[in-house]
Amino acid sequence: MSAMPPSGKNRWTDPAFYLPVLFISVLLVNPLIIRSTTFTQVSILVLWYACLTASWNLVGGFAGVLPLGHAVFAGIGAYTSTLLFIHAGLSPWIGMLVGGAIAAVVALLIGVPTFKLHGAYYALSSIAFVEVVRIITENTQQIGSLKINGVQGLLVPLRGHAPLYFQFDGKLWYYYIIVALLLIIIYITYRIHRSRMGFYLVAGGEDQEAAESLGINVTRYKLVALSLSAFFTALTGTFYAQLVLYVFPQGIISLNLSFEIAFIAIIGGRGTLLGPVIGALILVPIGEISRIYLSGSQFIGIHLFFYGTIIVLAMLYKPSGMMRSIQTGYDRLVHKLRGASASAQHEGER
Amino acid sequence: MEFFLEILINGVLTGSLYGLTALGLTLVFGVMKIINFAHGTFLMVCMYMTYGLGVGFGLDPYLCIILVVPAAFVLGYLSQVVFVQPVLKAERDVREPVGVLLLTAGLWIAVNNLFLMLFGANFRSLKTPYSDQVFEFGQMLISRPLFYAFVFSLGATAILALFLRHTHMGRAIRVVGQDREAASLMGVDIYRIYRIAFGLGIATLGVAGAIITPMLYVHPFAGDIYDIRAFVIVVLGGLGSVPGALLGGIIIGVIESVASQYLTMSWAAALIYMIFLLVLFVRPQGIFGFEKDS
Repeated sequence: MSAMPPSGKNRWTDPAFYLPVLFISVLLVNPLIIRSTTFTQVSILVLWYACLTASWNLVGGFAGVLPLGHAVFAGIGAYTSTLLFIHAGLSPWIGMLVGGAIAAVVALLIGVPTFKLHGAYYALSSIAFVEVVRIITENTQQIGSLKINGVQGLLVPLRGHAPLYFQFDGKLWYYYIIVALLLIIIYITYRIHRSRMGFYLVAGGEDQEAAESLGINVTRYKLVALSLSAFFTALTGTFYAQLVLYVFPQGIISLNLSFEIAFIAIIGGRGTLLGPVIGALILVPIGEISRIYLSGSQFIGIHLFFYGTIIVLAMLYKPSGMMRSIQTGYDRLVHKLRGASASAQHEGER
Repeated sequence: MEFFLEILINGVLTGSLYGLTALGLTLVFGVMKIINFAHGTFLMVCMYMTYGLGVGFGLDPYLCIILVVPAAFVLGYLSQVVFVQPVLKAERDVREPVGVLLLTAGLWIAVNNLFLMLFGANFRSLKTPYSDQVFEFGQMLISRPLFYAFVFSLGATAILALFLRHTHMGRAIRVVGQDREAASLMGVDIYRIYRIAFGLGIATLGVAGAIITPMLYVHPFAGDIYDIRAFVIVVLGGLGSVPGALLGGIIIGVIESVASQYLTMSWAAALIYMIFLLVLFVRPQGIFGFEKDS
């Protein structure tokens, strides 16, 4: 990832190239090999959380703020595409982009006043934002002629197997869509991270006053990052609506979801490219497995007890996240493989 | 008119209790500049302690204050030593630390669910002879435990304010809140002050837990209602301000009480969050806060 390929050599012999290719291939063929519905379902959930967290990471990871309001953007995505589908018959594929655009605009509107706040104040304002939107959604039956059904939420009209309407008869389809979405979000994060904007964001996140004194309009870059982040979060929200075919306020516009996203980012490594994936790989299966196997027992709430304990331990012993150690291990592996191939070549020449 | 007055009085009484639950939060923020998300969880633990003493030993909840407050202080002190302090030290040089926020959010989830595992999801109530009694003023009815809660809330707030103003330790706590570097240079052991401040913050919840128990059900998520509301109050009154917490609590109590007569409970809650956002945008330092805190 970090190492550059040595010049004048075939890329396929370079571990810095073939290892990522190998990982992506494993990601693509995995559900074809392990043909278990539970496995595919948990994988989709892991990737869904990874998408949310990777989107969050664009602003929460680099810009030095802790947004806890992203559930609203996911909700905007889910509700917009579903409402457009119900009332206008518009395919959720298009509704998804409309939802993303609306979320991006809302992010700008909410970002202008909230980015004046710092640290704890910013986090609290984002919490209030989720709560207001959730309560209003729960208590509104219809806006004009648009029925949103308050607490009950909306059912996505069934179309059977209709790829053009984002509905499929197998989970595998959903798996590949969410993989594609994740790769797109990570690629965009990578490009931003390497761009001028990325450096400005990191500089502003570390010390806003110092960055501003160098003439960087930190707030403007934060706003761009927030609306991009909201856009992708909304796309991920639409995906969820199409996966479960049901949207309701408590399920998506919830503080719990906002906190889960932040937790995954922290465990994985805030502000790292692949931290969201690592965090989701660690936390989501723990949550799912203990929910499936333990919550039926006499100990209700045990999975959340584990969840909370892991967060506490992570904050105490690994506050920078797992990604740094994994990166070190990976770099060492690349180095070792390179050394091995170089010495093999050397042998051949002799 | 009397009907409106009754709503108003109930709002003030409930609001003073809200103010008391926010007191510890504002103290901890004022000194350490951290947000304790597990605040409602500590309140819930104090409620269970009161309930346990009430059921196990037949103690009156108000008498329990004598035992619950020191226990809460020790709990807070130890939590600071074991959990908060290491994270604070690790983030010493971070410009806008949020580690403690996430740590306490983790504690909140873990401890609430630990209590759910240990004691189940049952709603428990500690029945006292005066739980359902009311005072009658002409046409107005005022709940007796709510009135007692008002008296204890005012008392606890006054004691804390006097302690902070007039004792040596109180002054040390305020100095650390104002400028920790300067305090440190003057030879104040700031981590010791943090431990005591956190202990005191949780001790105020000991009072709150004891006086809530005769009125409300005790269950693992009983503190959550107070949690986010306490943040709203604290920001409204100005993070770090003791009289601000009381006033903020009363304002929220009155708004909630009046609004829920004319709107539904949930719209009243939405209204409170909207006021909160408005205060954050227009006057982030709150009513009593200082400019620099924002």
